[in-house]
Amino acid sequence: MTERTVDPPPRPARAPLPGPADPAASPIRYPLGPLELPVGPPRTPLHRAERCEGTGACARACPTDAISVDRSLGPTVVELDYGKCLFCGLCIDACPSGAMASVRFEEMAVRDRADLRLRHGPPSPPLAGSRLADEVRERVRRLYGDSLAIRAVDAGSCNGCEVEVAALLWPRYDLERLGIQLVASPRHADALIVTGPVTRNMRLALEKTYRAVPGPSFVVAVGACGISGGPFRDSPEVEGGVDRVLPVEVYVPGCPPSPVSLLYGLWLALGKVDQRLARGEIPADALRSPPR
Amino acid sequence: MTPPAEEGEEPPLEPAPAVALAGDFPSRPTPAEERRSLGALGLDPVWDPSEDLWRVDVPPEGWVAAAVGASDALQHPLSTLFGEAPREAPGTIRVHALFLGIRPSGGVHLRCALDPPRPTLPTLSTTLPYVAPFERELTEMFGVDVSGLADRRPLLLHEHHPNPPLRPGPASAPDGRRVEYSFRPVEGEGIYEVPVGPVHAGVIEPGHFRFQVVGEKILNLEARLGYTHKGTERLFEGKPSDLGSIWAESVSGDMSLAGAAAYAYAVERALDVAVPPGDEVVRGLLLETERIAFLLGDVAGIALDVGYAAGAARANRLREAAYQTLRAATGSRLGRGTIGVGGLRRPIRGNLDPDLATTYARWREAIGRLRDEWLGKSSVVDRLEGTGEISRWVAELMHFVGPVARASGLRIDLRHDRPYGAYVGTEVRVPRGLTGDVRARLVVKVEEIVESCRLAEEFLRRLPADRSPLEPRRPPSPGERRSGLGWVESPRGEFLVHVTIGPDARLERVHVRDPSFLNWPAIEFAVRGAILPDFPLCNKSLNLSYSGYDR
Repeated sequence: MTERTVDPPPRPARAPLPGPADPAASPIRYPLGPLELPVGPPRTPLHRAERCEGTGACARACPTDAISVDRSLGPTVVELDYGKCLFCGLCIDACPSGAMASVRFEEMAVRDRADLRLRHGPPSPPLAGSRLADEVRERVRRLYGDSLAIRAVDAGSCNGCEVEVAALLWPRYDLERLGIQLVASPRHADALIVTGPVTRNMRLALEKTYRAVPGPSFVVAVGACGISGGPFRDSPEVEGGVDRVLPVEVYVPGCPPSPVSLLYGLWLALGKVDQRLARGEIPADALRSPPR
Repeated sequence: MTPPAEEGEEPPLEPAPAVALAGDFPSRPTPAEERRSLGALGLDPVWDPSEDLWRVDVPPEGWVAAAVGASDALQHPLSTLFGEAPREAPGTIRVHALFLGIRPSGGVHLRCALDPPRPTLPTLSTTLPYVAPFERELTEMFGVDVSGLADRRPLLLHEHHPNPPLRPGPASAPDGRRVEYSFRPVEGEGIYEVPVGPVHAGVIEPGHFRFQVVGEKILNLEARLGYTHKGTERLFEGKPSDLGSIWAESVSGDMSLAGAAAYAYAVERALDVAVPPGDEVVRGLLLETERIAFLLGDVAGIALDVGYAAGAARANRLREAAYQTLRAATGSRLGRGTIGVGGLRRPIRGNLDPDLATTYARWREAIGRLRDEWLGKSSVVDRLEGTGEISRWVAELMHFVGPVARASGLRIDLRHDRPYGAYVGTEVRVPRGLTGDVRARLVVKVEEIVESCRLAEEFLRRLPADRSPLEPRRPPSPGERRSGLGWVESPRGEFLVHVTIGPDARLERVHVRDPSFLNWPAIEFAVRGAILPDFPLCNKSLNLSYSGYDR
């Protein structure tokens, strides 16, 4: 484990924990402080149009059809949907020209599903307006900005996302320091975070849970499955994403999204930060660390 | 109040030296003896090296005798049972029953071809009660009429599924008929029902529990699952054999690495793919790290459910460190996209911290101290002792696997019994509990974390110095139909994947048997007679996978 510096808040002296404290497990300040990128190889795929030869190898390698390469219009059009992406890296392995690279980028959550779709190649797509009006967003922020109660619903997840949602309560992420609680009943909740592709067998329970949340409320869709059905999107047993059933305010991509990605998504839902991904383009400052 | 455990009083575990292990198992027949025994049953077995099993084709009328013979005479429990619509015989259904031997190799694979259009098969559940869920799945998925099966309710498919989705032949349109589901009735004065779920109070998977309760005492619990059924086994079909690990990782996502490894071993056995020894060592390292992270979650969960927040926080700190170790090595906190067919998908060794062995040694020490602190707290131990007991007899009868079985006194562990990959020739110390209660499960899991740290340290020592980049390996096109069986001791126990690969190297049928498919009835046994408030504790100590059961 590589040592990492974190920025711990000053705290009073306490009895020592059993065993040497592991710096990797120390509390983080994010999103109130700076984001420490995780140690390890980057996994977020990145398409560099200038190197692309349009072979389509990435699209053929992708297990969830998150990438499409179209040359029928003349110039190559590459589309990459982070909402379907499993971050498995098969596209990067397959690309012969090095156009598919990877970066470390955690702040991927968006409000508009279209902002998870990258499109390289002319003609540029028309920009659609944001789904929620600014005043509604301001209202969410005013209502819940300092105190949010969330109910987590597993709508058929593989339990991978649950590991990371539950991790928000671990000492390192300590969700409750942000005024956000995971509550035991939808009747106590202001919002739902929903994982899984919404199986046919869970659809009714999900709808009932949503109706049990007192309004105004909102829904956060978590993970490739929650956004698009992920690897299960072709199954007749799933609906293929939370927004097929419920209105979704924020989408948090990942398979599963890291706890830090989830923190960012919740912070975005509360209107505390700006969205960083726009039309699938990862902001330039996140690319400063050289992709590999 | 129970006094805290003291040294020398009642040892929480038997010490597990390797030499004593042989005496613990009933002596199993060798493959040659198996062949003779099968011959005595009137069967003609063929050795299948890609499964390490004796393969026997039996007609439906010989099904029960052969299965009971394999289970009784050979002392191999039925590991899995599944249907297949074989491509080489369109319109027919073939049923497979696998009996894995608790030996480096050996065991029986029974196959039975059923006649269309009314496929029938006699039930095994009257002799082997734990087979009933397999047969219910066979019935609802393939439309096989399992004669004599007492419980004919659907297992994974809910009301909107009138037709068996895997039955060969043209799909018939849904007729709109709803299949009603009724829970086992428990009646009497003062008995009331408590329905719980499918949406639960914690961050856990969905399932429905129906309790019949008198006062606070649980008379009976019935779990109804299927809420996370995603048709995963069908999604494998038609995919290239090297791509299937994507879905194998998502059977039980909290054991992604175990799922990917079991799948990889199945394909590698089917297609005779050799894996570089260095890659096997890295697989072992990753699998043990996953086990450490997973079991620490169980430890933390048990702590939370007895109101021991400090214990939970400490276990979760260690757990976070374990997931970060996986992230540092593979790029994914759950290790996804790392284990592929033929070895590793991407190089790992360059990512490993040179001091990693020290980290595992530190965890080993930390979890040991945590255990001592736990078991020194009478208020914690009091909640654990005698809670959720599963007797050894029940564990054996119901063929429970993994830490649940080991806590009840069974010493079964595929890493030891049927070693694969890096575990071949590696000593694995298998802890075993005595009492089968929550305390035994906690202590077994803690001992397993300690052992996993030790194994990880050993694998780190065995890592070859060579850090050359990986050669991409593609599984060959076999040119003929092949099948293979992969097994991994996942953090929850025996994880099996059976693959059938067509001549074009595409998957034709993949069956995944998550350990929780066998272990789910454990919760119903564990809470019988317990009080309702102890249910979460029993549940957490068993940590059953809903998604692994439902797929």
